[in-house]
Amino acid sequence: MNLLSVLVFSPLVAGLIVLVLPASLQSRYKYVALAATILQVLLSVLVWVRFNPSLGGVNNEHTLQFAEKLSWIQLNVGGDSRLQIDYFLAIDGLSMPFLLLTSLVMFVAVLSSWEITTNLKGYFALFMLLDTAVMGVFTAMDFFLFYLFYELMLLPIYFLIGMWGGVKREYAAIKFFLYTLFGSVFMLLIMVGLYFSVQDPLTGDHTFNMVHMMNPANYVDGSLFAKFSGQLLLGIPARSLAFIVLFVAFAIKVPIVPLHTWLPDAHVEAPTPVSIVLAGILLKVGGYGVIRICYSIFPEAALGYAWWIGLIGVVSIIYGALNALAQRDLKRLVAYSSVSHMGFVLLGIASVTAEGISGAMMQMISHGFLSVMLFFLVGVIYTRVHDREIANFRGLSQLMPQYTFFIMVAFFASLGLPGFSAFIAEAFSLTGAFKSAGVNGLIPRWMALGGSVGILLSAAYLLWTLQRMFFGQLRLSGGEPWRLLLTDVTIREKIALVPLAAMALLLGILPGVVFTQINTSVLDLVKLVNP
Amino acid sequence: MNALITISVLAVLVLYLGLYKANKALLPVTLLGLAVALFFTINHWNVFTGPTFNDMMSYDNFAVAFSGITITSTMLILLLSKGYFEKISDHVAEYYSIILFSLAGILVMVSYHNMTMLFIGIEIMSVSLYILAGIRKQDFASNEAALKYFLMGAFSTGFLLFGVALIYGAAHSFDLEAIKMHLETNLQTGQAISPLFYTGVVLMAVGMAFKVGAAPFHFWTPDVYEGSPSLITAFMSTVVKTAGFAAFLRLFATCFYPLHDFWMPVILVITIITLFAGNITALYQNNFKRMLAWSSISHAGYMLFAIVSLGSEASYGVFVYAIAYSAASIIAFAGLVLMQANTGSDSFDSFNGLGRKNPFLAFTLTVAMLSLAGIPLTAGFIGKFIMFSNALSSMHTWLVVLAVINAVISIFYYFRVIVAMYFKDAERAELEIPLNFKVVLAISVVATILIGIWPAFLPNVI
Amino acid sequence: MAVFYLVAFLSIFFSLLVIFSKNPVHSVIYLIITFFTFTIHYVLLNAQFLAIVNFIVYMGAIMVLFLYVLMLLDLNVNSEPVKSSLMKIAGIVAGMCLLVTLAGALKGSGFLPAGAHEEVVQRPNLGLVKNLGQVLFHDFLLPFEVSSLLLLSAMVGAVLLAKREPREI
Repeated sequence: MNLLSVLVFSPLVAGLIVLVLPASLQSRYKYVALAATILQVLLSVLVWVRFNPSLGGVNNEHTLQFAEKLSWIQLNVGGDSRLQIDYFLAIDGLSMPFLLLTSLVMFVAVLSSWEITTNLKGYFALFMLLDTAVMGVFTAMDFFLFYLFYELMLLPIYFLIGMWGGVKREYAAIKFFLYTLFGSVFMLLIMVGLYFSVQDPLTGDHTFNMVHMMNPANYVDGSLFAKFSGQLLLGIPARSLAFIVLFVAFAIKVPIVPLHTWLPDAHVEAPTPVSIVLAGILLKVGGYGVIRICYSIFPEAALGYAWWIGLIGVVSIIYGALNALAQRDLKRLVAYSSVSHMGFVLLGIASVTAEGISGAMMQMISHGFLSVMLFFLVGVIYTRVHDREIANFRGLSQLMPQYTFFIMVAFFASLGLPGFSAFIAEAFSLTGAFKSAGVNGLIPRWMALGGSVGILLSAAYLLWTLQRMFFGQLRLSGGEPWRLLLTDVTIREKIALVPLAAMALLLGILPGVVFTQINTSVLDLVKLVNP
Repeated sequence: MNALITISVLAVLVLYLGLYKANKALLPVTLLGLAVALFFTINHWNVFTGPTFNDMMSYDNFAVAFSGITITSTMLILLLSKGYFEKISDHVAEYYSIILFSLAGILVMVSYHNMTMLFIGIEIMSVSLYILAGIRKQDFASNEAALKYFLMGAFSTGFLLFGVALIYGAAHSFDLEAIKMHLETNLQTGQAISPLFYTGVVLMAVGMAFKVGAAPFHFWTPDVYEGSPSLITAFMSTVVKTAGFAAFLRLFATCFYPLHDFWMPVILVITIITLFAGNITALYQNNFKRMLAWSSISHAGYMLFAIVSLGSEASYGVFVYAIAYSAASIIAFAGLVLMQANTGSDSFDSFNGLGRKNPFLAFTLTVAMLSLAGIPLTAGFIGKFIMFSNALSSMHTWLVVLAVINAVISIFYYFRVIVAMYFKDAERAELEIPLNFKVVLAISVVATILIGIWPAFLPNVI
Repeated sequence: MAVFYLVAFLSIFFSLLVIFSKNPVHSVIYLIITFFTFTIHYVLLNAQFLAIVNFIVYMGAIMVLFLYVLMLLDLNVNSEPVKSSLMKIAGIVAGMCLLVTLAGALKGSGFLPAGAHEEVVQRPNLGLVKNLGQVLFHDFLLPFEVSSLLLLSAMVGAVLLAKREPREI
């Protein structure tokens, strides 16, 4: 059994255990889930340690690590066509950091699931299924397998929001589901199109292997997506269309303006653990998909549309920040700040420079930790008084000093204070964007400037919120009852928060921890996209 | 052939059992007989040597595969029927035997090699169904269903027969192979094919479209499906539909294949109309049974994909799709029968809160809905995947794009059931699920998920 | 060919009348005439067996149907029409029989130029009862046998639907 397979399927086993356990042990389910996530953290640390940073991977199957390839679906469908789908798991520098991120976020999410009280069996089973799906997405190297895991993420989230969410949960759940599904069904079509265009160089069968799809030599001459076949699809070059469709599918997840409207709704209605997973991991799936699939398989289209992608990034940064400024609900504010921060990822990717892509990777990881922290902190208040209107709280620092400490760490880290991970990430993304104009001329300098404005705006809304909620005279709209309910953070909450804060700090001070691991892969990717 | 004989004899035997009031033995004997028929059917796998009985029938793998699905589905549906017909009437034996006659007709339909056999098969099936639709004699809806089905069915049979006659006039044969040869030689030698033939093809397409409930010949479907007793509806929307498609595909894939360019646009238009008509109308239904009826129309649209783009995977696609669709529909109808028996209602609201009270039933229904909606890791996804990739490989990009939009639309109405079961709370009593229902639900769910995860375990047709 | 065109015209004409006449009794009468013209077609095509079957079965069936309609619609209210329509039918049946016989005789006498159809002339045995039997009981034996299922099923169903349910009354 390969390490990655264990990593992917151990949560599923835990989920099955939860399903099998009798209802009388209901209060123990969370420990099963916790054990599974701790195991996962340990395994991903092991992967991190054993990972060889000098191997690039990306489009070279031999330098992918921890690879496991089994023939999964082989159908002789008559004639010369044979459906070949592999169970192919492997990682390289572009996916490895996400494994650790995912397992840590899942760990925190399970810790914050203590607040869930109803229908625990279903909850933890779905949660573990979600964990498996996410891990699968980050490790799958076969497009079909990737797609399956990608779709498999939707259902648990749909049910988690719909069954344990807030008042408008039904609406939020179906909105989330349809947005993502709409993107992914078209992805399916492109996937099938690629399948018919690409041949395995060894066997000559059509294949879903992503690595083969990245090599132009594997395309059948004159096929739909062959590089120089010049096929038109619905009036535009097929490869450009495919790139756009795939990009939109992933960008919905990221999310980009204007396809972001599911995000605030989903976050507001979702219970805290689901918000954590959404912000911490699912948004990264979008960014990861753009890098792994859109850019690697359709590099020339990616270069062609770089300007637009950069623009979308800048618009997301500024629009998200402006929206965050206007929010009155703390959770909505955090949700919009996510939109803004994920804009840097797109900007960095669009620059196709080593700095930009490293920055984008870093931003995803950093935002993974920070947004989880923010949502967790919002959840802390919400579980206590079931309210999160900013205007209803004032002077909380007197009541909850430790809580205020954590929130200040999270806020300052998010707004890009030097010494925290977000600073490094945003600095690298912007450097990449600035440099791009001189190196490859993909995106103009004003976009980088626009991104900087976004940092300024994020400082504005975060500090303003800090001032409104935590400083000044203690005043709560709920009066005395709230005063009693709003106790400071508990041990369990600290266990969740401390590692996150530590990671944010660690990555801010020693960014090399991540950069050395991903560097070779990033350089390979840049070479692949812009030779 | 043994399967056909077994089932025919079984039907008569069941009639005798009814005569001697052995009502307890009816179901076991029927199931046993069907199991024997299934065994005979599977025995034919890979032993096809050529058409038999003066080229009337051809028991190739295609026939074996589809006979297998239809017999198995019938067994599952009959397993649900324990105690069901007794509520309707005292003459239970007759119902079983009519269902068996209908199945005999279906076996003829999936293995014909001659148009006369096609016609007789369709008629045996249809006549039995007209009766089954109307077995609730005191129920107005059931009467309406029977009459409507009869009139529409007779009408479509007229089309079909006229088509057969015209084709005979042009090709001088009822034999599929001979007709194909006629077409091929004419096309090769550049001889004009008689206009009679073209007209015949179109008329036969219309007749078959009627039988499988494809738009714009689908108007009978919702009323008939809603009016008939639920179990009969289950039979009609799974077994009968599968058989209809098998017959349709056999006719067009083997016999009319040389004229593909001529009839493909016709079927293409029918497919697109069917998809939209089925899906959009299903959106507006408040009644679970009626929703299933409209959704079955939209599924007919997906199955027509195979006929539009007769690739090498066409039979395999219909095969997988039919299994996926049948399994999911059987679950849905089993849920419906339980719900009707317990609450007397089949609106979406009657499913409220089912997730808490009957987790198993709710889970199976969820899997069924997901499979019908084509969500990955269910059989429905594999079915749609094969259909779509098949259509894409023959460059029907627009068709697939439209189909994908429809797949998204269908999420809305399939998820209404899931939303009702899990997200809406209601005070309700726990439904009592008899053992036979549990068995059927479990078998269908396992099949749905198994095919979704590991489709390779299904044998390859062709 | 002239006979064919005449009969074909009659067929279509009377079929249209079947649809357009408001009185169901008239409709049935026109239907009977239509079937007569079909019989003539069969005779022209040398299809003896079909002609006879058409004559017997359809005439029998249609007569029964006609009586059924009469009973169902209760046209007895005006006592007059019953007798007259019965008379009409009798007249029509007799007249049409004569027409069929005439057509057959004309055909037998070789009066019809170039036969009714090329095929018939080339193969004079076509459509004879003997040949039909050979085809039916040899080549098409299976469909012939399988159609018994159809009849049985329909019979069982008819009994089932017509039978009174003791419980529900």
